[in-house]
Amino acid sequence: MRRILSAALAGLLLTGMAACGGDDDGGTAAPVAGAGVEGVDDGSELTLWTRAPLELQAKALVEAYNAAHKNQVKLTIVPNDDYVAKVGAAAGSGDLPDLFAADIVYVPNWTKSGLFHDLTESIGQLSYADKINQGHVQAGTFEGKKYVLPFVLDLSVMFWNKKLYKEAGLDPEKGPTTVDEFKQQALAVQKLGRKDVHGTYFGGNCGGCNVFTWFPMVWASGEEVMDPAGTESLLDGPAAQKVYSTWRELQTAGAIAPGSKDETGATWVAAFQEGKIGVMPYPATLLPTASKTVDVGVTAIPGVTAGQGSTFVGGDGIGVSKDSKKTQQAWNFLSWLTSEAAQVEVLAKNNSSVARTDLVDNQYSAKDPRVVTINKAAASPQSKTPVAVNFQQAFNAPGSPWATLLRNQVYGDAAALEKDNEALTAVLAQ
Amino acid sequence: MASPVTTLEQQRSSPAVPVKGVRRRRRPKLTGWAYAAPTALFVLIFFVVPVILVARMSVSDWGLFTGDRGWNAPENYSDVLDDRLLWPAVWFTIKYTVVTTVILLGLALGLAMLVQESSRWTGFLRSSFLVPSALGLASASLLFYALYSPQSSPLGFLGIDSFLGTPSSALWSTVVLIVWRFAGFYMLLLLVGLQSIPGDVYEAARLDGATRAQTFRHITLPLLKPSLALCAILCVTGSLLAFDQFYILTKGGPDNSTITIVQLVYNMAFYGQNNLGRAAALSILILAALLVVNVLQFRGLRGKED
Amino acid sequence: MRTPQHIVGGGLAVLFLSPLVWSAVASVSPQAGTRQTAGWGFGNYQTLANYQAGIGQYLLNSTVVSVLTVLFTLGVSLLGGYAFAMFRFPGRNLLFLVTLAILMVPYATLLIPLYVLLNDLGLQNSLLGLALVLTMFQLPFAVFMMRISFEAVPKELGESALVDGCGSFRALLHIMLPAVRPGLITVGLFAFLAAWNDFITPLVLISDSDKAPLPLAVANMRQQVMGIVDYGATEAGVVTLALPCIVLFLALQRHYVRGFLSGALKG
Repeated sequence: MRRILSAALAGLLLTGMAACGGDDDGGTAAPVAGAGVEGVDDGSELTLWTRAPLELQAKALVEAYNAAHKNQVKLTIVPNDDYVAKVGAAAGSGDLPDLFAADIVYVPNWTKSGLFHDLTESIGQLSYADKINQGHVQAGTFEGKKYVLPFVLDLSVMFWNKKLYKEAGLDPEKGPTTVDEFKQQALAVQKLGRKDVHGTYFGGNCGGCNVFTWFPMVWASGEEVMDPAGTESLLDGPAAQKVYSTWRELQTAGAIAPGSKDETGATWVAAFQEGKIGVMPYPATLLPTASKTVDVGVTAIPGVTAGQGSTFVGGDGIGVSKDSKKTQQAWNFLSWLTSEAAQVEVLAKNNSSVARTDLVDNQYSAKDPRVVTINKAAASPQSKTPVAVNFQQAFNAPGSPWATLLRNQVYGDAAALEKDNEALTAVLAQ
Repeated sequence: MASPVTTLEQQRSSPAVPVKGVRRRRRPKLTGWAYAAPTALFVLIFFVVPVILVARMSVSDWGLFTGDRGWNAPENYSDVLDDRLLWPAVWFTIKYTVVTTVILLGLALGLAMLVQESSRWTGFLRSSFLVPSALGLASASLLFYALYSPQSSPLGFLGIDSFLGTPSSALWSTVVLIVWRFAGFYMLLLLVGLQSIPGDVYEAARLDGATRAQTFRHITLPLLKPSLALCAILCVTGSLLAFDQFYILTKGGPDNSTITIVQLVYNMAFYGQNNLGRAAALSILILAALLVVNVLQFRGLRGKED
Repeated sequence: MRTPQHIVGGGLAVLFLSPLVWSAVASVSPQAGTRQTAGWGFGNYQTLANYQAGIGQYLLNSTVVSVLTVLFTLGVSLLGGYAFAMFRFPGRNLLFLVTLAILMVPYATLLIPLYVLLNDLGLQNSLLGLALVLTMFQLPFAVFMMRISFEAVPKELGESALVDGCGSFRALLHIMLPAVRPGLITVGLFAFLAAWNDFITPLVLISDSDKAPLPLAVANMRQQVMGIVDYGATEAGVVTLALPCIVLFLALQRHYVRGFLSGALKG
């Protein structure tokens, strides 16, 4: 009995460790670009993973694709907070799905770790390759090779509640064009003194939220948040300091809704949708949802000085996984995803932003001038996708150095900026 | 874990008859192993082998996405000890464990005394205290997450600004959840202990003119010690490994004030560092620490019984 | 004398029950940002019912996993408890302590190795593999419980069985089994509760939406839009998850209380 057990133990250990060694090189899969610009549509079953907040768009895209193709995509939704754990477990044992999406700020780390298939040649065959959102393509480029295409774009813009603006004596058709105007307008709404109504709101305990909403304020002022390599933080510059002091003044004046201090990001957009907030930077994806309950005004996120404004080109990128054995079929999905059929007839039709500059003006955007505003903001040269290998650890993770920095700037010891910024650089530079 | 010791001791001093009976049979050792084999297989395949793999990870440069990149001992261990969040996490976990254990056991004892006699009314009370134990810890945490959220909370009348916004309110809000979820379970364990105290002991004390407080201190507590010790061991081990409740309620915030050690393991593996080697090293340290803690608790218990 | 005790007890009972009652009430009451925005009704349950594969599929998956886990746990711990209580064999104490050590490892750490292991056994992404892993996590409590249940069986009973020339297995089946029934019910109930409610194990081990158990679906549903938590759906999910557990818990209450009482827990 014992001998059998020890033999079983030894066998298990050996196989267990072999499988952990990352011995999968996808060598059996055909070269992606081999089958031309459209890839192969031969009735294969493809698997696709994405995180729960993108379910709406992902489902619409997959349904449209499955209806028009022989290939069938099978969608798996993973809870947002646990997506990295899920992908990590699968990646370690060569078990990733054919296609998977990733928060665009994690993409540099994941391409560096070799989770995606090289798509350089295939992307090069697309006639509209240079029209695809360059922020996402750049984030998915590692050592000159392209791995990732935009899946769903999420842009940050300034939303305001027109009804509250009217009541506060503000022009309901004009949003803030500078950070100072943002502050004044928030204070004006706060002055209404209405119970449960506040000037503005933000995720006071959420690094990711304020990456999304504060970085554009810095960019719109003509400054940068990191050096081009993504290894040094520049978040102690004059524009950044102005942004911090603005939020601190709003906090002191009581114009930020209570609850923001412990807002971990799980509910940071809810209060505006309930009509309780005057003005705040907001995800553009939620325009249709918010419009159901609030008369929303939209403009680009302003900088310290008036200008074109800026937006954070976020959302998720998508690529073919290193473990896929059906790379040409998977490419068929990606090629379709960037086509007009998907971008206009699925994404734009569902009020999502299109990821191609040549499709920004389409029949659906024409119906709502606010969508044109959003698309224009995305095209602004000051709109960016930040690229850093250690982005998640530095900015998004709970308790990240960025969360510490911004909490000190708004609630705590504002003089800690230099020290906090160094801690940020230390993580980025690892 | 208290009882196996006692029962082992008892068996050693007075060998149970069935054991003797079986021994008379031809190959008792083999029979014993045959019955234990399924347990052994399960433990071996699904526990020992994974733990060995964790141990191997802990001495390797093992990234979440990249897999094994070779031996690097003792780098993971020294990195863990240098982590800026390690000592705050250790300190917080111990604080949480002490607070939870004291409150939980105190309340559980009180509840057990309250429902000691059986009647229809105490039956109802027992069920009420026990019902939360039927929920999963994750479900219970989600329930309290909604209960504490400013958006949906019905607790506005308490006049508490924020249930999770400051380090101490986050700690106490979590303790309330845990006490709610587990008090009934520990009450049940203590109730079992209480009911095993023979009635004539109380009768004798009453005849001696002992007050209720005296009876409690000098009779109930000492006789209840083994049950209390079992509860303490379970509660301490569970609290030192606390994860779900903080993962759902606070994510370690505000300002990293509620990060427990296991959460640190999770963060090292899946949030940012994505370093399985380091997470494994910390897990091995936790396992070692818990083994020591439990051995000490065993010893303490055994000492008292001698 | 009695009245203050009644008041304290009653007050405490209200405190313990109120979160559950609130959750049930809140799940059907109107609330902004949920499916049920005006008036009372079951809108949140409709969200739950129609989510992805549909609640029927998730309930089925959860039931399959829970039943398998209960069966495995009962089988393994019945034999294991019998072995530990009635026999002496080399490695007995070591095996028992290693089994208890399962309680001392942060389970989040074990999941990656377990994922690798299940892949090697061809059990990845299967409800069977998930049930096997959940059984392992149940073993410390289950084996401990069954061991003390067997040890508490009156000695004469086991003795008479063996003296009659009964094989040890027949003794177990015909004589011991009825005696340890309360212990088995306790073990089975706790295995069911754990398997039914577990979230993080299926998260890592199951990749297919069609095979996901209910807690995973509830977690997905909670945050369908970035930055918004659907509290209504969350509450409906909690109630749906809790209801079968509470019913089972109350129905079996008499038995598992006896299970604890019958054991050598008396110390």
